[in-house]
Amino acid sequence: MTPMIDVVFQLLSFFMMISNFEQDKADERVTLPKDKLARPPVVKRESSFTLNFGFDRDKDGRIVDTTAYVFDGDQKFTIESVRGRLRQEAAFYRALGKDIADVTVEIRADAAVKSGQVQDLIQMCQENDIAFQRFALKATQKSEF
Amino acid sequence: MKIRNQSAASKIEIPMAPMIDVVFQLLIFFMLTLKIVEPEGDFDINMPIGAPAQSAVTDADLPPFKVRMEAEPGSGQLRQLYFNGNPLGTGEGAFQLLNSEVLKGVNALKATGPGNLDKQEVEIDPDYGLNYEFIISAISACSGKMVDGKMVRYISRIKFAPIRDKQE
Repeated sequence: MTPMIDVVFQLLSFFMMISNFEQDKADERVTLPKDKLARPPVVKRESSFTLNFGFDRDKDGRIVDTTAYVFDGDQKFTIESVRGRLRQEAAFYRALGKDIADVTVEIRADAAVKSGQVQDLIQMCQENDIAFQRFALKATQKSEF
Repeated sequence: MKIRNQSAASKIEIPMAPMIDVVFQLLIFFMLTLKIVEPEGDFDINMPIGAPAQSAVTDADLPPFKVRMEAEPGSGQLRQLYFNGNPLGTGEGAFQLLNSEVLKGVNALKATGPGNLDKQEVEIDPDYGLNYEFIISAISACSGKMVDGKMVRYISRIKFAPIRDKQE
């Protein structure tokens, strides 16, 4: 009995350690660009929220709809319709009493979206009634070359 | 009166079965919730459009490095990369050239004064239809280089130019 319990405890601690609940905000539909210089922030951000911006894809990862969407759980918004969602998010942080200037918007944009749309999204986040100021662009750390 | 030796003599059985049950439940939970994902990193960017940063005024005498990226109409691939107006070509080689051009700029800045490097900005100016992956490559080329597994930082202040028209 004792050796079995030993092994089970080893396994348990292994899985507990490698479980990462931090990246639950990531949406699988978004294929991030890859870059070897992309590093996690040295100091953990006090408050941040993630915008997943990509395409609807089939099982094999092929794009089925060339319109880019902002994914939010089961909901998805086009770039034109996401403004209301951003207002909600800004109102949420204001209601918590946080300075909106300290909130970082982490943008997880697909490698194939148009850069102008990412700029549109950033500009929308900066509008007067939303007013986010800090942005971070996400990429996976692995590099192809 | 109780005699201590008596209790020590009789062996107490710890019930193992419930503990093993719980441990197996936990094990299965962690095994099923495991999601293998590649580690993610990010690049901070400065965006002074909506709320002009105070530094925008003080840095007025230090023009930003301008990185202009033209896209192939339709495909969104990179057609030409420019650094301060000089064409650097296309493909992976262009970003390596950009990296060395930025290094030259950084070295020139270091020669002028220690604080100047922190004030220097890079302005990324892409066509509307350019694929986003090239933005990340350009930001990466401006922000530093990997030397023996360590990152050497060049410029950390990166911003976008105003958005270009969709038709371009």
